[in-house]
Amino acid sequence: MENAKISAYQLFVLIVLFELGSAILVPLAIDAKQEAWLAILISTLGGLCLFWLYFRLYEYYPDRSPVEYIQALLGKIPGSIIVFAYILFCLYLSARVLRDFGEMLVTVAYPETPLFIINTIMIAAAAYAVRKGIETIARTGELLFVLFSFLFISAFFLISVAGIIDVSNLRPAFENGLTPVVKTAFTQTLYFPFGEVVAFAMIFPYVNNAKEAKKAGLLAVLVSGVTLALMMASNTSVLGIELVSRSLFPLLSTIQTIEVFDFIERLDVYFMLASVIGGFFKISLFFYIAVRALAILFNEQQPIRLAYPIGMVILVLSMMTASNFSEHLTEGIKSTLFTHLPFQVVFPFLLFLLAAVKHRRKKQAGADGRDSL
Amino acid sequence: MRKWLLFFLLMMSVTGLSGCWSKKELSELAIISAMGIDKNEEGKYVKTVQFVNPGNVSGGLQGGGGGQGPAVTVYTAEGDTVFEAHINSSAKVSRQLYHPHANLVVIGEELARTEGVNVLLDVFERNAEVRSTTKLIISRDMKAGDMMKMLTAIDHIPAEKVNNTLKITEKMRGENVVVSLQDFIKWSTAPGIEPILSGFRVEGNLAEANKQESVMQMDPAANLEANGIAVFKDEKLIDWYEGQTARGVVWILDRVKQAEIDLEWEGKKDAVVYQVMRQNTTIKADTKKDIPEITIHVRAEGAIREVTKPVKLDDPNIIAEIERAAEKEIKQQLQKTVERTQKNQSDIFGFGQAIYRQNAKKWKGLQENWNETYFPQVKVNIEVEAFVRRTGLRTNDHLSELEKKQSKGGE
Repeated sequence: MENAKISAYQLFVLIVLFELGSAILVPLAIDAKQEAWLAILISTLGGLCLFWLYFRLYEYYPDRSPVEYIQALLGKIPGSIIVFAYILFCLYLSARVLRDFGEMLVTVAYPETPLFIINTIMIAAAAYAVRKGIETIARTGELLFVLFSFLFISAFFLISVAGIIDVSNLRPAFENGLTPVVKTAFTQTLYFPFGEVVAFAMIFPYVNNAKEAKKAGLLAVLVSGVTLALMMASNTSVLGIELVSRSLFPLLSTIQTIEVFDFIERLDVYFMLASVIGGFFKISLFFYIAVRALAILFNEQQPIRLAYPIGMVILVLSMMTASNFSEHLTEGIKSTLFTHLPFQVVFPFLLFLLAAVKHRRKKQAGADGRDSL
Repeated sequence: MRKWLLFFLLMMSVTGLSGCWSKKELSELAIISAMGIDKNEEGKYVKTVQFVNPGNVSGGLQGGGGGQGPAVTVYTAEGDTVFEAHINSSAKVSRQLYHPHANLVVIGEELARTEGVNVLLDVFERNAEVRSTTKLIISRDMKAGDMMKMLTAIDHIPAEKVNNTLKITEKMRGENVVVSLQDFIKWSTAPGIEPILSGFRVEGNLAEANKQESVMQMDPAANLEANGIAVFKDEKLIDWYEGQTARGVVWILDRVKQAEIDLEWEGKKDAVVYQVMRQNTTIKADTKKDIPEITIHVRAEGAIREVTKPVKLDDPNIIAEIERAAEKEIKQQLQKTVERTQKNQSDIFGFGQAIYRQNAKKWKGLQENWNETYFPQVKVNIEVEAFVRRTGLRTNDHLSELEKKQSKGGE
């Protein structure tokens, strides 16, 4: 464990940046059509439950990292296997976000620059942040969050002032009933981005005030859910559902539609800045968590030394997972259930049950004057 | 030693900071202001690209050099696809083609009639350099390429002139609409609505219009003017609406900002001019019947701008009568537009969309052959509420004073 402390507010900032990081790039919950915003809100509720679950686990073991308590709960070897699987999961997600983000930059801004170069620059910055530790990442987050929220608030303001919103694009409501909405919420949106907060289990022990941390975390999930729902609602009402579902980066298209007073136009930079900031934190946090977990698992005394090698792994992984962007996206949607469901819901839930049972036993044992753990 | 190495590395990193992988120097760019697309006899796309000559754009304030040659230069290239034509034009231009400032795409009428517009648009939509707010127009009765070769007065860049004209005429007259690339695609792909575009035509002597002398005269040899709304069906241009019919479309789409309406008064035609300053139009569908009924509700507010015969404008009862007359006139105009459109079998008003949004289930049964089968049969009710709020600086006109004077003189 790194000897570091972050505040509850910093946790809030990190979770919001993390959740919005790559979710603002894509047409989120688009299978729910006009009700994408509703699907996002429904999955936000699920996200709150998941967060509560992850936090409850931490509350059972407030002074131990997940690596340690998983090993304690499942036994040394099975626990290590699960932890290692989680590390791979984090590395893969980090690489995915890196790829998303790099592809966006190549498509939108740097058509002649190879993806590899862009990803290298990003991962180098992330590796530097990881070497500096969670306190530095959190402080950077605090600083950039101001810019990030300014971008979001002013973008929403401009979209509404530009007179491009046509709310009737959100109709007809429930064309195919409620089923596709709920299905999208629980097969896609719940796992991306909400369930990914599972990685924060590694961050909770650093927060200096557990009670505040819980409040801040729940609030962060809620804020990001509402922001995302608002974003999809404005995308749909500005572009219409046909255009949103064909767009790789619908928010960008929405922002490009803004034309105010003939000179506030082509605000692509809004989107680029927001996604670079969000992308950086999502990549760095997954990266940091993987490095920390690896260090604890393999008893490495100087986890800093892992930053660059693991960075290389993420970089190569981001280039190798798919040969084109369509493949990358399809992989993301198809793999959701197979990888996300066990890592984000099933394992944490089983661990929670185990911990609860053990705890009760321990309590009873404590009452009997013995210590079983 | 370590210090020096660090210093050296720091200095080296400066070279990387400018981020010049995809650098584009201003002096190496050919800034595109407008593009035109036609098809030639061999079936190849002809793309006409209009570039800005930066040195010749500056107005009188700048003084000094430049201003001698035309503000724009035009190159033409052909290819089997729009993209190929675009790439081929690089053989004629000494600079790198630069799209982000392009603001206008002109499509030749012939091409729009035979092939439609949608098939041309993917290349623009896909390219991140092209603005999705780029405006689309149709060049009426002429090739887009010929229209691109016109010079314009006041706004030296023709694309600018076209866009500004469109915007102002949409606002003042309401007989044209500003349609961007994105709007057109949105309209084309949404269920229950068909797209429209504005047309431009050239008045005057086209042969003279590409010379600089043309715009140096007080009365330019030729002028570009917004003219008509192009109606599409099955992707192809089928009809032009002009004047009040065109305004009817803009009106029903709720995009009219101002409009002037001439009213008949006591037997004299065009006796009272009523200008709508503010209006709101809604389309409602009654989906209970087998074939849905559409209700168009218009609420207009405006003022009296001109009378050509004596009218007692200080009398509220007269004003109320004028309001009724205005309602009747607006209703008639819209009716004409609706009738013509139903005959054309192309739902440019989005009646189908209104039904779809009201009752998606009902729409499922109607959507097939909507334009041909159901749209022409739809019963359309038009309700108009018109209000005259004020009459300008005067109440009664001086014409009635004149009349009094004359009748006194006659005694």
